[in-house]
Amino acid sequence: MIKKPGSQTELKKNVLEQSLCTGCGACVGLCPYQVFYADRTVQLFDCDLPEGKCWAFCPRTPADYDHIKKSLFNMDDLTPEIGAVKGYYFSRAFDPRLRVNVQHGGTVTALLELAMGEGMIDSAVVSSRNEEFEQHGLLVTDQNQLRGYSKSWFTVSPTVAAFNRIPDDRKKRAGVVATPCQATALAKMKTAEIPGYNGSDLPGLVIGLFCGWTLSMEKFYNLLGRYGLSITDLTGMDIPAGKNILELFTAGGLISVPMAEVDHCVRTACRYCMDSTAEFADLSVGAARFGKDCEEMRGWNQIIVRSDRGKHLFELAVAKHVLQIREAPPSALLELKNAAVEKKKKALKNIVEKSHSTKNLLYLKSDDPVVRKYLGVEKKRKGKL
Amino acid sequence: MSKLLSPDRSTVLFLGNEAIARGALEAGIEVATGYPGTPSSEVIESLAGVARERNLYVEWSVIEKVALEVAAAASFAGLRSMAVMKQNGVNVASDFLLHLTASGTRGGVVLVSCEDPGALSSVNEGESRYFASMMEMPLLEPTDFQDAKDITKWAFELSEAIGNVVMLRSVTRMSHASGNVTCGKLPTKRRNAAFEYDGPVMDSQTGPMISTPVMAKHLLRQQKLKDVQRMFDNSPFNRYTGPAKPDLLIITSSACFLYSCEAVEMLGLQKRVGILKLATTWPLPPNLLEKYLRKAKTILIVEEVMAFLEENVKVLASGIAGRVGVKTFFGKYNGALPFAGELNPDIVADALGKILKVKRKSLPADYQTDVQKTAALIPVREQTFCAGCPHRASFWNIHNAIALDGRKGFVCGDIGCYSMAALSPATGYHTMPTLHSMGSGTGLASGFAQLSRFGLDKPILAVCGDSTFYHAVIPALINAQHNRADITFIVLDNAGTAMTGFQPHPGLAVSALKDVVPAVDIAAICKAIGAKVAVSDPFDLASTSRILTSFLADKGSLKVLILRQACALSPEKKGKKAFDVKVDESLCIGEACGCNRLCTRIFRCPALTWDRDTKKAVVDEVICAGCGVCASICPQQAIVKTEVSAPG
Repeated sequence: MIKKPGSQTELKKNVLEQSLCTGCGACVGLCPYQVFYADRTVQLFDCDLPEGKCWAFCPRTPADYDHIKKSLFNMDDLTPEIGAVKGYYFSRAFDPRLRVNVQHGGTVTALLELAMGEGMIDSAVVSSRNEEFEQHGLLVTDQNQLRGYSKSWFTVSPTVAAFNRIPDDRKKRAGVVATPCQATALAKMKTAEIPGYNGSDLPGLVIGLFCGWTLSMEKFYNLLGRYGLSITDLTGMDIPAGKNILELFTAGGLISVPMAEVDHCVRTACRYCMDSTAEFADLSVGAARFGKDCEEMRGWNQIIVRSDRGKHLFELAVAKHVLQIREAPPSALLELKNAAVEKKKKALKNIVEKSHSTKNLLYLKSDDPVVRKYLGVEKKRKGKL
Repeated sequence: MSKLLSPDRSTVLFLGNEAIARGALEAGIEVATGYPGTPSSEVIESLAGVARERNLYVEWSVIEKVALEVAAAASFAGLRSMAVMKQNGVNVASDFLLHLTASGTRGGVVLVSCEDPGALSSVNEGESRYFASMMEMPLLEPTDFQDAKDITKWAFELSEAIGNVVMLRSVTRMSHASGNVTCGKLPTKRRNAAFEYDGPVMDSQTGPMISTPVMAKHLLRQQKLKDVQRMFDNSPFNRYTGPAKPDLLIITSSACFLYSCEAVEMLGLQKRVGILKLATTWPLPPNLLEKYLRKAKTILIVEEVMAFLEENVKVLASGIAGRVGVKTFFGKYNGALPFAGELNPDIVADALGKILKVKRKSLPADYQTDVQKTAALIPVREQTFCAGCPHRASFWNIHNAIALDGRKGFVCGDIGCYSMAALSPATGYHTMPTLHSMGSGTGLASGFAQLSRFGLDKPILAVCGDSTFYHAVIPALINAQHNRADITFIVLDNAGTAMTGFQPHPGLAVSALKDVVPAVDIAAICKAIGAKVAVSDPFDLASTSRILTSFLADKGSLKVLILRQACALSPEKKGKKAFDVKVDESLCIGEACGCNRLCTRIFRCPALTWDRDTKKAVVDEVICAGCGVCASICPQQAIVKTEVSAPG
C-alpha cells in the first residue's frame, strides 16, 4: 500500500475529499492541474497519468515516514516525541532592529539572512500575503528583503508551491521556511523514488516552524465578523502561553478570543496531523512560552537543531553573533515534548475515529514505531472498532 | 450588376433564398427587414446588396418582433414589405403577428419563415406553419426554385387582395439549395408612402390600424379567408402529376415534393402513384382537394416536421367523406413517416414501398461492404470552437473561475457558436447545462439566483453573444437587477452576429446598408441597469480570470463581464495572425508529469496537434489563427509566440 504510486484522481479521493489536505502547496506549481485558491487546493482539470508527483510529494498520502526520518537524520538523534534533536535552545536575533515587528525573537529571519549571506542558499521561500490577505509562498532572492515576512497569521500558506516553481537547477540553493506539513512534503521530495527524478539535495535548507494548527480561512473570517472585524483590521495575532486565548492585535486595541471559539475554526486537516515541531526540518523554531516566565520569554524563540546542515548554520549564527542563545532548562524540553505527545495522541485518536480502524490510519502506517507508541490502543482491541 | 437584378426572361442559378429575394423585387418591395438565423439570412443579405440600386430600405432588426413591426409600418403606409426570419423567430414575432392579422394590412406584406427540419443549424426543430392556422393568415410553401420566386411575387398580390399578412415558408433544402430560375420583370414605378388613419374604424384603407373592434375585425378576417380558399382552388402553383386513377395519392408540399418525385421514380411507380403538390397549404383549397381525394382510396401525406398538412387534410376529408368516400391515410400519425427530422427520398421511398408492398432494388452487396470500409477511414471530427476562437479562451476562463470558486457554479447558456460549450465532453472545460432560446440563459439565471432560499446555493452564471444581448437579454437582465438576482453575466462579444455570417448588430457603427450609424454600447446599458460592469479581453487569461473569480466571490449583486474579442473568422481578422506560434520542442515535456499534454488533451485548439512519433506538441501553422492563447497556458513556456509585424 505504501509503495503504490498514486494519481491525481487518487489524490482527490484520498486527500482532498477526505479533508486531509493541509494546503501546504506540495501538489501545486508542479503542473497546470492543481492550483491553490482561497485556502483550498483546487484541481482544475483531470490529469489521466497513473502516477504523479502530486501524490508522491503530498504529506498526507501514505508513505513510510519512519523510513524517511531515518534516512534524513542521525538515528541517535531521533526522539519519538519531537523527532531528531541535536540541540535545543532559547534564541533570539542579536540585532534589536530585526526584533521589531517579528512574531517572537526573530530567529528565523536572522538564520535566513545568515544562510544567504554566507552563500549556503541564494534564495528563500517565505510566506507572504496578497491584497486579499491570502497567504502564499514568496521567493526572496535579496538578503535585504527578508524582513517583513516574519509574522504568523495562523492560516495556511501554500509555500511549497513557490518552491515547486523555482527552476530545477536552483532548487538545491533555496531555503524554505516551512510548517510541519510543508517540511514533510519537502522531505518526501528529497526521498521520492521516481524514475528520472533525483531530489536528494532538495532543498538547500528547511527552517521549520512549530505549528499546532492553522485556521480555515472561511471559518476564521466568519469568526472575525462576529467580533465586528475583517481580516484587514488585524495587525498581528498571537497565542500567549497559559491563557487559552487567541490574541488579535488591531489598531483599536487588543481583542482576546477564547480558544473554545477558535477551535471551531481550525482547518479539519490539522486535526489529523501528528507533527507540531516540524520534525523533517533542518532546524525548527517556535515561540518560547514557559511557565511563570512567559511574559519575559515572549521576545524569545525556542529552537531545535536537527540535522548536520542545521547544526552548521546554528553554530555559525552563534559564532557570528547573529543569534543570542540561552540554555533551555530541561523542564522546557520536557514541556515541549509533552505538548508534542499530546498532539500526536489527539491526531491518532481523530484518525481512528475517521477511519473506524486502528489498522487503517489513512496516511500513516500502523506499524510505524512512533504511531504504535502513541496510538494508545490495547493490543486485544486491534482491528475494527 | 448583381445577379439578383438579372434582366427579364434571363435564366439564372439562384439560391432558394435568392429566388425569394428576386420574387420580392419583382413584386416591387420597398422595405425588407429580418433578424439573422440559419437558413434565412441570405434573403436579407442579398436584398441589402441591391438596396442602393433598387432604392430599398433594408435593415437587420434587433429582434424578429421588431422586424415584423418595421415591415408592417411600411405596409400601413401602402408600401410592399417583407420580414424574414427562421422558424423560432416567428414565435418571437408572434405576439405582434396576432394583432397584425387582426388589424389587417395595406401594402402587401409577407412574413418569410425559413425553417430547419432536422435542426441542422438550430437547437430546436420548430414548426411555424401552425401559426398560419392559429392566426388565420394564408400560408404558401414553394416546392422548387422557380416556384420560390414566382410564389413570393404572388404572395404580395395575395396580401393586398385580402388586406392581411401572408406567410411564406421555406426549409433548409429549399433556401440553401440552388436551381435555375427564369426571371420576370422588375418594376420601374415606385410607390409613395402615405399613412391614412382619419377614416372610419372599419375602413381598411383610411381608418386606424388597430385590432379593435375585435369581434368585427375577426369576422372580417375569416370572411377574407373564404376568398383565399377560392384563389387557392384555382392557383397554378398547386399541381397534380400522375395517372388518372392512381393506387395511391401523395399529397405534399415544399421540398418534400421533390423527395416524393424521386421516391416514386426510384420504385418505378409512376403509373401507380399520383402526386398532388400543394403550394397553398393553409387554408387548404377545398375543391381542389375534393377533386383529387376522389381519385384514390389510399393517401400518403409527405411533409416535414409536424403533421400539419396531414391533420388539415384529414379534417377536410372527414367533412366530405360522404362525397369522396372513406380514405386510408398514411403519414406521421400511423408511423409511416417520422415526426422528427428531415425527410429525404430514401425515407419516402421506404414508406411508399411498405404501403404498396414494392421492394426497392437493393444496392449490390460489394458496394455496401465498400461503403462500410470507407466509412472507417473518415477521421472523427469533434464539433468544437475554431482555432483562434475567443469562446475557447472565454470558456477556459469560466471553467477555471467556477473550479476555483469551488461551489459548483454553472453557466446558463444561450444561442450562438458558444452554444457548443453545451457539447459534452468535447473539451474538458465546456460547461453549459442549460440551452434554450435567445436570451433565455439570462432569464434562467435570474430564476436560479432566487433559489438559494430553497437550498440551491451555487454561483449562477449566464452567457450570451453580443447580438443576442440586444435581441432578448435586456429584459432578463433588468429582471435580474430588479429582483436582486446574484448572477455573473458574461457577454461573449465577438463583434458581430458571427454564427450566421457577420451581420451587423446595434453594437456596431454600421447598418445592413453599410451606412454609419450610432453604436449602442453594451457596457453603458448594463451600467444603466445598475450592474457592476467590467470589460476584458478573453485572450488575456490572467486579467479575465482575476475579474471572474472576484465576481463569483462578490455575493449579492448583478455582475456583468463583457469579454471583447473579435471572432477569428471575422472579415477584419481572417487570415491575419497577431502572432506566429511555435512549439519549442526542447522545452515541451509532452506526456510527462508536469504537463501531460495540457494543450492537446485539454485546451484542444484544432491548430494544436500531437506528434505521436516525437511525443511533442506541434502547431499546425495552416490552421493556427495566431491568437497566442496557447502560449499562456503552456506550463513549460514551450509554446512561443512572436508578434507578427504589420506588413509594409
